[in-house]
Amino acid sequence: MLGYTIKRLLQMTLVLWAVSVIVFLMMSFTGDPVFMVIPIDSTQAEIDQARRILGLDRSMLAQYWIFVSNMLQGDFGRSYVFGQPAMQLILERLPATMEIVVLAMLIAATVAIPLGVYAGANPGRASSRAIMSGSLLGISLPGFWVGMMLIFFFAVRWHLLPSSGRGDTVEVWGLRLSFLTVDGWRHLILPSVTLSLGTLAILLRITRAGMMEVTRQDYMKFARAKGVSRRGVLYGHGLRNALIPVVTIFGLQLGDLIAFATITETIFAWPGLGKLLIDSIYRADRPVIVVYLMLVALIFVVINFIVDIAYTLIDPRITVK
Amino acid sequence: MTNSRKSAWRVLLGTAAIALTTTSVAYAKELTVGLTSDAVHFDPQAGEELSSNIMFYHVYDPLVRRDADLNFGPGLAESWELADDTTWVFHLRPGVKFHDGSDFKASDVVFTINRLKASLMANLGANITTATAIDDLTIEIKTPFPYAALPNDLAAILILSEAHVTAVGDTELDSNPMGTGPYKMGEWIKEDHITLVANPDYYMGAPKIDEVTFRPITNPATRTAALLTGELDIVQDLAVRDVDRVKAEEGFEVVTKPSLLNIVLAMDMREQSPTIPLDTNPMTDHRVREAIARAIDVDTISTVIMNGLSTPSEQYVPSTHVGYLPGADFHAMYPFDVDAAEQLMADAGYADGFTMTLDTTNNRYVNDAQIAQALASMLAKIDIDLQLNLMPKSNFFGYIRVPSDQSSFIMSGWDVPSGDAGSMYSVLFYSRDVKEGYGQVNRGSYSNPALDALIDQADSTADIDERAGYLRDATQILLDDIPMIPVHYEQDIYGARDGVTFTPRADKFLWVYDMDVAE
Repeated sequence: MLGYTIKRLLQMTLVLWAVSVIVFLMMSFTGDPVFMVIPIDSTQAEIDQARRILGLDRSMLAQYWIFVSNMLQGDFGRSYVFGQPAMQLILERLPATMEIVVLAMLIAATVAIPLGVYAGANPGRASSRAIMSGSLLGISLPGFWVGMMLIFFFAVRWHLLPSSGRGDTVEVWGLRLSFLTVDGWRHLILPSVTLSLGTLAILLRITRAGMMEVTRQDYMKFARAKGVSRRGVLYGHGLRNALIPVVTIFGLQLGDLIAFATITETIFAWPGLGKLLIDSIYRADRPVIVVYLMLVALIFVVINFIVDIAYTLIDPRITVK
Repeated sequence: MTNSRKSAWRVLLGTAAIALTTTSVAYAKELTVGLTSDAVHFDPQAGEELSSNIMFYHVYDPLVRRDADLNFGPGLAESWELADDTTWVFHLRPGVKFHDGSDFKASDVVFTINRLKASLMANLGANITTATAIDDLTIEIKTPFPYAALPNDLAAILILSEAHVTAVGDTELDSNPMGTGPYKMGEWIKEDHITLVANPDYYMGAPKIDEVTFRPITNPATRTAALLTGELDIVQDLAVRDVDRVKAEEGFEVVTKPSLLNIVLAMDMREQSPTIPLDTNPMTDHRVREAIARAIDVDTISTVIMNGLSTPSEQYVPSTHVGYLPGADFHAMYPFDVDAAEQLMADAGYADGFTMTLDTTNNRYVNDAQIAQALASMLAKIDIDLQLNLMPKSNFFGYIRVPSDQSSFIMSGWDVPSGDAGSMYSVLFYSRDVKEGYGQVNRGSYSNPALDALIDQADSTADIDERAGYLRDATQILLDDIPMIPVHYEQDIYGARDGVTFTPRADKFLWVYDMDVAE
């Protein structure tokens, strides 16, 4: 286990280093950040002054060297546009994104798994077919369209929920949280539901496929013959054996939603990470993009690590090496 | 937020709830404005984009105030006069206080200008050599040459408190701004909302609206929805496709105003042009430039692509500006006429046309990509094969930068909020590489000694009427020469609920001090 953790840590360092190099190189092709921050009719002297202020007057290699050596001392650089530490910009927005993502994943898991088990155990029924067709809709409808429809009906037409924004928040240990206020919950519902749909549909289909496979196994019939209740067989024996792919996808989707909830956040004007990424790309704000993508890589590595550990808990035959 | 709750209540509890909520509202007037993006800075010398500019003018004041229609008048300076051709004396308004209660003094102006010259926004102070405090309420500003438009420039320089900036430091100023303006910083939750509260001691009198909340909502459809649900009172940049929807809804109105942003087509005037595979650049011939101008149908662009929400531009600057030539209209001089354009091309020896590339953005101006496509099909009629090179704005402005070695034909926007054509002409049309601070954005490499001379003359008089005369002559030369084709001014579109008194500003900087809401 210790050896495995160390191996994973080394891998992670390598991934992060690769991300930083790739992003640094790519960003040199996506436009000159100086022209995004100064007035367009600036003279050459004014441009040179701006380059000096932003640290862009040095060579690419020197800039990369400064970036890496500062990072090793915990300084991730400052945004060209905001003039603030890039890490701070990201951490400020992380709680908002985590809220809708966690809620979306909870909705997805609590709806998808029971439905998937049901549809997998009773493949012939009309209700199962309805569930499966519904899940196809969930996969194929684009998130921005669903979001706009939800806003149109729940906010504009029926006046039940607010259209956008985060509402009242409470500050706990320096983090702004909206799930502690009623108003916050009202704002959370629509974006979380929108965000959950795709994942919900995928989890549902994977759970069903796994269950259909597992229900044909002899041990299922054996358990039933032994007198275990149908429910006990389905969830205790069936689902547990069908769970490995579900957990894998769950982990990947979780990372994906944290990193790229951009569209849903833009539609609901949700003050999360996604909008920061888009804005930074438009403004060629390299420090923010580099740190953001490194953080995303880190999140994926950590989630996959946790998923691997979860395998050993679900199936004791699996060991991590 | 309170509004959305109100609307939900109304539905659930009917009229009883309306009575209840209206009586429970305290007599504080509140306003919520939907912006297209969050402010980036509250430090006016750290950068500029529209949302930040809107915030700056709420928190800070300039020496010279620019009103909604670009009339310039006293701000923190009560009056000013010329001491000699390059020395201006400004008399500051006595008794003005910063939000922290300290007095506004001439030393704050000196501090602001010195700090500006070392900042990213140094360009705003390009025509100021030095600023010196004579006494607490008098300041002397020197310009590098006689410069009649200095007061216009000063409307863009917002005055900081020396003591405050020194105390909080440069980077903290963004989160802890303080000025003399009509509103104080209340709360700024990034990407969620900015709340400003009224400064009751404002020198022009306390604002009518006590608290204003700005909410950044990037997605246009969401902005419209939030207006219709009552979460917002005013929205900026109402989407063109939502205009009819909002007009049809009872209790809301759509307000439009021509913006200052002139969409222009710059033509390369060098002997050889980067994207034209010919030995000589056809556009050096006046007939070819005129043919291009006549082949472009600005009215069709306005009706078909802009849904009528654009105003064809008569000249390079709008009629409010110093240097506008009354009565002159580019599109009347060179009306749309394909036959005449073809004849001009044939006369110039290009009956078979030629190939060139148009460089423009695909995310900066309203419908920029569609306009580019329309231009390609219009110019195809006179056998100019226009290749389109569209790119995001983050690449564009570096790509077309002077010396513009990759461009022949560029579509971009230009606005002159200072209200003075000279500031545009001197950077856009003055011959390149002759004088520092002149011609640095002259992407087509246009050069006309007569025009240069007029700009030199305009920049050597401290008399604004004399300056206007030179600039009008310059406008005439430019309209005759066609170094650039003015296309149209975009229109700013706002949605507002009834009961909000609101007039849009020409410079697009929403200013809540000018607004009111019905009780």
